[in-house]
Amino acid sequence: MRYGDFTPYDLVLLLQGLGVSVALFVSTTLIGLVIGTLWAVIRFYRVPVLSQVVAFVAELLKNSPVLVQLFLVFFGLPAFLKINVTPTTAAVITLSGNSAAFIYVIAVSAIESVGRDQLEAARVFGLSRWQILRRVIAPQAAAFAIGPLTGLLVNQLQVTSLISVIGVMDLTKVGNILNLRTLKPFLVWTAVGVLYYLTAKLVAHAGARFEKRLRAHTAWKGL
Amino acid sequence: MKFDLSILAKHIPFLLEGAWLTFQACLLAVIGSLVVGLLVAAARTSASPLLNRLSAIYVDIFRNIPFIVQLFFFYFGLPEIGIYIDAFTTGVIAMSVAGGAFTSDVIRSGILAIDPGIIEAAQVSGLRKSTILRKIVMPIALRASVRPLGSVFINLILTSSILSTITLNELTGSAKIVASQTFRPFEVYFVLLVAYAALTWFVSILISMLHRYLNRNQAEGAV
Repeated sequence: MRYGDFTPYDLVLLLQGLGVSVALFVSTTLIGLVIGTLWAVIRFYRVPVLSQVVAFVAELLKNSPVLVQLFLVFFGLPAFLKINVTPTTAAVITLSGNSAAFIYVIAVSAIESVGRDQLEAARVFGLSRWQILRRVIAPQAAAFAIGPLTGLLVNQLQVTSLISVIGVMDLTKVGNILNLRTLKPFLVWTAVGVLYYLTAKLVAHAGARFEKRLRAHTAWKGL
Repeated sequence: MKFDLSILAKHIPFLLEGAWLTFQACLLAVIGSLVVGLLVAAARTSASPLLNRLSAIYVDIFRNIPFIVQLFFFYFGLPEIGIYIDAFTTGVIAMSVAGGAFTSDVIRSGILAIDPGIIEAAQVSGLRKSTILRKIVMPIALRASVRPLGSVFINLILTSSILSTITLNELTGSAKIVASQTFRPFEVYFVLLVAYAALTWFVSILISMLHRYLNRNQAEGAV
């Protein structure tokens, strides 16, 4: 006897998958933000050798399929270094690195968007290098970067679906399981698609709200 | 373990076979997404509210749902409604439909950037609507959007690696086979990563050349 019908538990399974997807998305985004910004700061200070290495690695990560990066970390690293890599670890490493590479590009152009004259003025006032970065560049660069960053995050959310291929129980993997059990592809994949769609819209909406707040100081307040 | 690339030598013909399949799929998908993109962009910028709305919904849906979910939707869903096609055709269709959404957005912004005076001049010259679209609007819009179109197509090449999940042995799929035959996943996937990066780099150079060729008559400085 086959259990081919949908059960109420399937809904729980779908939501569980969504939870895994969102959790991995949020954590890898945060890690990617830290690493990407760090790379951009390295470039900003023109650290010799390191800044070239960073630029090269970012270029390599941006120009290769995430699936291949995932296979390299999940299948390649354990065989090469004789270590154990669980699917989740591989997913976190790959997605963080991938996000970092794209965030690096955004952060670099955001830092460059702050005019040189402002830096000179800040230096004349006697601000230290750290103070310039923290008080002058960071607030303006953040307001500049938030738009492209939102676009990137909507994209990265979709990239997380690839980790189902190495066996992480995310939304796509749950969809795959339900599809094979119920053999109702249209229903299952539509449900999965709708969940991804709503999450993407939520991310875009949150990004727009946040941008408004960061740009509040430039908004017209009336005379 | 030692990093040894020489073991890959005898698998190169097999990998090249996969690369050839990737090339075919990408070429067809680029053509397909260009056709879809042109039609949708024309609908998106047309005066008809219905076409406008429909095309906006299409773009919104296919941009916000992960490609792998769309691919599974087609791969498992089409046989359900009695359409039996092979994995290659399914992959090309899915890539064309998904790529078409991104392409149409690029072309649409190219169309919106056209000076309204040009279109008005065409209208008062008594040209028919279809002639204006074919001979005036599209050439200008396409010429201006070669670069962004190029990055969409590069993304499409990277996306094509996902086709390996529906049993299609393109470059990534055949690399998977080689990795399991040689037990050297690290070397295989590392080479694959570099190969994809080199491929996209080469394509981006071609796109720059095409851009310069098509815009050779533009004014100085209007790169």
